[in-house]
Amino acid sequence: MLKIEQISKVFYPGTVNEKTAIEYIDLTVNDGDFITVVGSNGSGKSTLFNLISGTYPVTGGKITLNGKDVTNTPEYKRAFTIGRIFQDPTKGTAAKMSIEDNMVTALHKGMKGLKITLNASKRGYFKEELKQLSMGLEDRLKDNVGLLSGGQRQALTLLMTVLSRPQMLLLDEHTAALDPRNAQIVMDLTTQFIERYKLTSLMVTHNMQHAIDFGNRLIMMDEGRIILDLTAEEKQSLTVQKLVKMFKSIKNQEYASDEDLLTT
Amino acid sequence: MLEGIFVDGLIFSIMVIGVLISYRILDFADLTCDGSFATGAAVATMAIVNGTGLATALLLASGAGAIAGVITATIHNRLKVPGLLAGILTMTMLYSINIRILGGRANVPLLRIETLYTRFPEIFSMMSNPWALLVGTLIIVLIVKELIDVFFRTDLGIAIGALGSNEQMIISMGIDPKLLKVIGMALSNGLIALSGGLLAQYQGFADANLGQGMVVQGLAAIMIGEFLFDSNKISLITLRVIFGAIIYKALMFLGRYYGYYINLTPSDLKLLTGILVIISLIVAQTRNAASSADARKKALRRNKERREALDKEAGHVEN
Repeated sequence: MLKIEQISKVFYPGTVNEKTAIEYIDLTVNDGDFITVVGSNGSGKSTLFNLISGTYPVTGGKITLNGKDVTNTPEYKRAFTIGRIFQDPTKGTAAKMSIEDNMVTALHKGMKGLKITLNASKRGYFKEELKQLSMGLEDRLKDNVGLLSGGQRQALTLLMTVLSRPQMLLLDEHTAALDPRNAQIVMDLTTQFIERYKLTSLMVTHNMQHAIDFGNRLIMMDEGRIILDLTAEEKQSLTVQKLVKMFKSIKNQEYASDEDLLTT
Repeated sequence: MLEGIFVDGLIFSIMVIGVLISYRILDFADLTCDGSFATGAAVATMAIVNGTGLATALLLASGAGAIAGVITATIHNRLKVPGLLAGILTMTMLYSINIRILGGRANVPLLRIETLYTRFPEIFSMMSNPWALLVGTLIIVLIVKELIDVFFRTDLGIAIGALGSNEQMIISMGIDPKLLKVIGMALSNGLIALSGGLLAQYQGFADANLGQGMVVQGLAAIMIGEFLFDSNKISLITLRVIFGAIIYKALMFLGRYYGYYINLTPSDLKLLTGILVIISLIVAQTRNAASSADARKKALRRNKERREALDKEAGHVEN
């Protein structure tokens, strides 16, 4: 599905602010994978997502999507395959437009035509789809999205992303800005949709328990590299404590080798 | 006389709809308008003088405006400069081009030539002259309004609206935002030039300086319209723009006609327009602040009620 070979990203190259965000990462995502991604702030998780979806160009390396080289493909073209949900609930919907207008835009990927497709049967379909969010949005089709709460907006974003039928889902801490109850609702919907539409997914999360509970693979990032890659079997016996211990031991090894470098 | 204000306001309202598309719908601070309005007037005038026929003249005028819009959008897209700068560049270049279109002159009259505004009294011969002009203009404005309303209900129109509200969403839906901006700006400036083409025929001349200060006047009209009623429906938004445009023209008429009582001269009208926009902004701001304070109070009250309900429940469990 997705193959990343030796990609790197350097911000502001050649200036005093030069910063390496991603250092030669290799990653192969198979069809149907649900990978959780953990790592501290600044470890390069979001940058990795930005490179995959094409928000930033890569500094080096190659990205292949469904066997096609997309390294230089603009973001809007990659969006046909990739659906992305951000931490900020305002990023996925147009606040100044009604729920139905938002949904009609999300219904199909790609350039729109001069046709009026928003009719009674579409509205009926939207209502049916909105019902599964169980947030009462099905009665508010004509309300502006700006009037919705963060949780409602994120659930709507999720639904809209799924309606546009991507093959892959990038979830960038998409429940982090929500209160616990709404975060739970959105998380439940996420797993429902991923199963129903067989979506290959990557999910960044700061919730270690989520990282362990969800998905069939877990990767941990640190300082622009993948330092841990666990399979479904390895995850089964995993606890938060063990995961933190693993992280610390990997870090300690590094410190030890750094010390070696300095002393010898 | 009163009819004159309405004709003036209606012609102006087509331009304001153009400004609405760039400023409000696309969220693109476009100054091309000051140039493309005069371009529309110049192209329509020269076409009529050269005998192309009235419909062709108006089509050519809006086509020229659309091209100006495409140029601004392209400068913005390709060179990645802010829309404001792109618009200023096009507007400045258009000043020279407009004089070229007018054959090297700054002013070309449309005297003793058939224009729309000499045709209207013939078409509506059952009415008095001013009323014929008003009805003719009203028909044109209603046709334009209806076309725009329909356009912004199509999938493409909705996508352009979504772009103005959230560009990331458009990218996520696999649409090239640059292409949408080009389409939106072409439409906006096409309407602005059409309005210029009509005004030239109504007042009987085209002038290279016709577009000066149009953006601010357009914004003033939009803001006046926004005071009237609140809506997210495109048909009501264009309707309130038309009302806003007529009210603005009426205010300016009052300023011109009765202003001398308080020592106002016509040259003060731009100052008045600016002050009008500033007042509109202040009122809108206080209104927003009031409504968000209200929303905050309601949220606090809801929270309190929820907490009390929870406390009650917890109390029951303990008992």
